[in-house]
Amino acid sequence: MSEEEASKVLAELLWTEKYRPKTLDEVVNQEEVVIRLKQFIKEKNTPHLLFAGPPGTGKTTVAHAFAHDLYGSDYRLYLLELNASDERGIDVIRTKVKEFARTKTPGNVPFKLILLDESDNMTADAQQALRRLMEMYVAATRFILIANYPSKIIEPIQSRCAVFRFVPLSREDVVGRLSWICGKEGVKCNQDALNTIYDLSEGDMRKAINILQTAAALGEVSVSNVYKVVGLAHPKEIKEMIKTALSGDFIKARNILRSLMITYGLSGIDIIKQIHREITSSDIDLPEEVKVELADYVGEIQFRLVEGADEEIQLDALLAKLAVIGKKVVGVAPRRVGK
Amino acid sequence: MSVSKVPWVIKYRPRKLSEFVNQDEAVEKIKAWIKEWLSGRPEKKAALFYGPPGSGKTSIVEALCREYGFQLVEMNASDYRREQDIERVARLASVQRGLFASRRIILLDEIDGLALAGGADAGAIEAIVELIETTKNPVIMTANNPWDLAFRPLRDLSVMIEFKRLSKSNVLEVLRRICVAEKLACDEKALDFIAEKSEGDLRSAINDLEAVAEGGGKVTEEIAKQLLRARDRILEPFEVVRKIFWSKYVWQAKLNATQTDLDPDTLMEWINENLPRQISDPEDLWRAYEALAKADVYRGRIVRSGSWDLLTYVTELMTAGVALAPKNDPKSKFRWVKYQFPEKIRLMSQTKEARALRDSIAGIIGARIHASKAKVLKDVLPYIKVIFENNVEEAAKIAISLNLTDPMIKYLSQDKADKIIARVKELRKAIRAEARKSESGREDVQKAGRKSEESGRAQQAKSGLDSFVKKTRS
Repeated sequence: MSEEEASKVLAELLWTEKYRPKTLDEVVNQEEVVIRLKQFIKEKNTPHLLFAGPPGTGKTTVAHAFAHDLYGSDYRLYLLELNASDERGIDVIRTKVKEFARTKTPGNVPFKLILLDESDNMTADAQQALRRLMEMYVAATRFILIANYPSKIIEPIQSRCAVFRFVPLSREDVVGRLSWICGKEGVKCNQDALNTIYDLSEGDMRKAINILQTAAALGEVSVSNVYKVVGLAHPKEIKEMIKTALSGDFIKARNILRSLMITYGLSGIDIIKQIHREITSSDIDLPEEVKVELADYVGEIQFRLVEGADEEIQLDALLAKLAVIGKKVVGVAPRRVGK
Repeated sequence: MSVSKVPWVIKYRPRKLSEFVNQDEAVEKIKAWIKEWLSGRPEKKAALFYGPPGSGKTSIVEALCREYGFQLVEMNASDYRREQDIERVARLASVQRGLFASRRIILLDEIDGLALAGGADAGAIEAIVELIETTKNPVIMTANNPWDLAFRPLRDLSVMIEFKRLSKSNVLEVLRRICVAEKLACDEKALDFIAEKSEGDLRSAINDLEAVAEGGGKVTEEIAKQLLRARDRILEPFEVVRKIFWSKYVWQAKLNATQTDLDPDTLMEWINENLPRQISDPEDLWRAYEALAKADVYRGRIVRSGSWDLLTYVTELMTAGVALAPKNDPKSKFRWVKYQFPEKIRLMSQTKEARALRDSIAGIIGARIHASKAKVLKDVLPYIKVIFENNVEEAAKIAISLNLTDPMIKYLSQDKADKIIARVKELRKAIRAEARKSESGREDVQKAGRKSEESGRAQQAKSGLDSFVKKTRS
């Protein structure tokens, strides 16, 4: 047995994948979406689709399940999976779409599917090019575009797609699913721990299952293990960076920021969301009204992160603001920033 | 390359300690320290040579080796970024004596590059400390600025030897000597200009002189000014950044930004890097960063929309916006501070390998679970790491299922990598053995449908593996 075969035997070790629903019937939530999609399957025809909604609500899962129900178990032959964040530019996408469109269509369905994940990460120009692609190959292909923010998809594309909105998962949905997985895996887990996972994952099923699997790997799914996992997985450097900036040592805070971005590979959005969480938590000792003032500025920076080109510079501005606030609040002369 | 093409900075390096200009005090201290070594009992086993660039720190080590018959083991900053490198090369050299040369000197050149709070080099300082503690040979370090907090352990263990900034007349003296040796007609005013510009950096002065002599054929003031000014514009981002910070008017700041060949992105990195070094008042610094951040927003809009006519706003905000930000302490921007090459650009190239490894792991996982690399990095990899740091058995199985290489496993687990790798080997062997068993058993029932056979084989291998796992675990 080659290593490749061996790995097939052990293929499903990541629970997010192992317990991903394979068919539309297995999808527990998003009933409205499922009903409409089943209609398309019955008609063996579909417009282009745009799946929009927060992370971990099942967009990619539903897309695969849809393809599965449409083509059968070898659906992968008729599904081209692309990720806008990973493909290097629209030209690469164009080439792949072109080649894929040339391959034969399944007997009973007159078109193949192209799944383009994270399509809201494409520039407006690239989206224009995408729109032309969608028109050019519409005879043999349909696109499923997946996006967190549908507003970032240009109007001409939106108007060519049937838009499906995915709602955040409810506590019952997530806890129920986690509990079911625990049963399948023969893992002991208590209800409090599962509820804690839901609180920490904010309705993101992928995140919830990741926490569950990691906690199980620590021995058992208990509340304390859940917190331990989340603590270990989230770099403590964020808090340290905030405190360093508040103390007035801008350069040191910036060094921490750089290590988070470059060494850990965290994106600016990830970092700012964690900063926001820390600032509003009780661990950072700031007067409440200052926290509100900061929330406003953090939001502004998050907005600019999307608009700007260099995420570090945007976050540097936030660190500089923290130094100002640190000086005001603490009332202590900050350390000299320069040398 | 012919012999005559040896760069002048090397050709005219002083050979003896007595030839060094204006560093008598340093030379005396060095001699005393080396004599301690030769008599067997140095009070401190390392020396830290510090002073401005081009004051002769590295050259003096070479001269020292020549005069006292030491063999030089040199490590340049780029050679010892990581602690393993120091341990491997330097420790080896410091403990074993040279076979023929009676003694060695270990030179760690330009340790400034290690001044990184909590960065990738954190272990490097510790490794050097250990090297100094165990060495049987003199260790010399050089630095422009030894006062960084991170260097404190090194300072405690070292004889501190200061190298003075050379005066203009020191530099002139050497330049004149070179002109004579090269049989060059050198205009005194040209030499004056070069010496002035060098700010005591003899290496850059000699390089400039050579550039003028070679580029112009002779050394006149006119040629010197023309050549070196033109060169400055291309080579000295420091100057551009300084001029931008020092601007008082919008037009002035914008004009200064045109005096560089740096593209706007790189120029912005230079400004970003040095802004907090120049501006010390927190509110002033924040105002400056607001301007820079807004410049960056316009830059983002250009990238996304292709409207290059927005570039002027980028330039104005990142130059004038920054220059006019200091209000609480408006004079601070005229302070003379030493600027740095953008740390971010350096970090990016330094961490290239590790990032590539990290990204390929993210790629493998992403393909498996239908997510982009960015998503994997944020939402999945941190958890996988926790598993790899805490559960060898589970980690080994995941490693096999994802077909991870040993370096990838090492990336994911600092402490348990060896155990995981060993377990992966065991499990793989077991899988192969099970597969062979099921293969031989299969011969008897060869006529069975191929498809069910395959799945049966996988099933068998899996249950075989499960029982193996159970056996070896208990």
